[in-house]
Amino acid sequence: MLTDLLTSNTIQINEGSDLSWEDAIRLSAKPLESSGFINQSYVDEMVSIVKSKGPYFNIGPEIALAHARPEAGANKISLSLLKTDHEISLVDETHPIKLWFVLSATDNNSHLELIQELMTLLMDKQKVQQMCDSKSVEELKSIVNV
Amino acid sequence: MKFLAVCQSGLGSSFMVQMNIQQILKDENVDADIDVSHSDVGSTSGDSADYFFVESTLGDVLGNVPAEKLILLKSLIDKDEIKEHVNTILDKEDIEHS
Repeated sequence: MLTDLLTSNTIQINEGSDLSWEDAIRLSAKPLESSGFINQSYVDEMVSIVKSKGPYFNIGPEIALAHARPEAGANKISLSLLKTDHEISLVDETHPIKLWFVLSATDNNSHLELIQELMTLLMDKQKVQQMCDSKSVEELKSIVNV
Repeated sequence: MKFLAVCQSGLGSSFMVQMNIQQILKDENVDADIDVSHSDVGSTSGDSADYFFVESTLGDVLGNVPAEKLILLKSLIDKDEIKEHVNTILDKEDIEHS
């Protein structure tokens, strides 16, 4: 499922030094929004959650998994990834991020298989390092695709 | 006994923690009846479980949970960190594990 969702269309790389955390989340979400998988309200909600609740979706070193409740405007299970060459602070410098995932789900359970696959990938420290160091979308795709 | 992984939305990260805890209990050969589930901050209260696992920045939001029941995690995908906490609880509760 992971490889069906993370494609050349939903994976992006950006140099990143000019981006704020908010820009990074919005940029990562862009392909999902363009494809109609999520509405703009969903993107706004993810940003506003961070502003009100803090950087809690910094789930591990260098990794953010941005998401909101389905009712905020999710139309489909979807996932995107933006890799930034430079670390961007999620709210403050104790939360530096290079891998910006955006996740949407339409209910509480349908995406659990996806979460499981994603976690297996992200618990592999070597793969996370390779993803942080990768220079192209193709390279990122091949790391995800194992 | 009940362990509850909690995150803001109850959608993604808490489920990751739940799966990690379940795997650790299996690895540690724990026979005791321990229920592991996940939930969101809004529907969690101090009596929802015996121990609560939460990402550290959300600790304040769970103000109604007694501090000794609250496990604050720096990383949700670092199995070693979660394992250390789980083993501490198992020892404290006199639950047999390897």
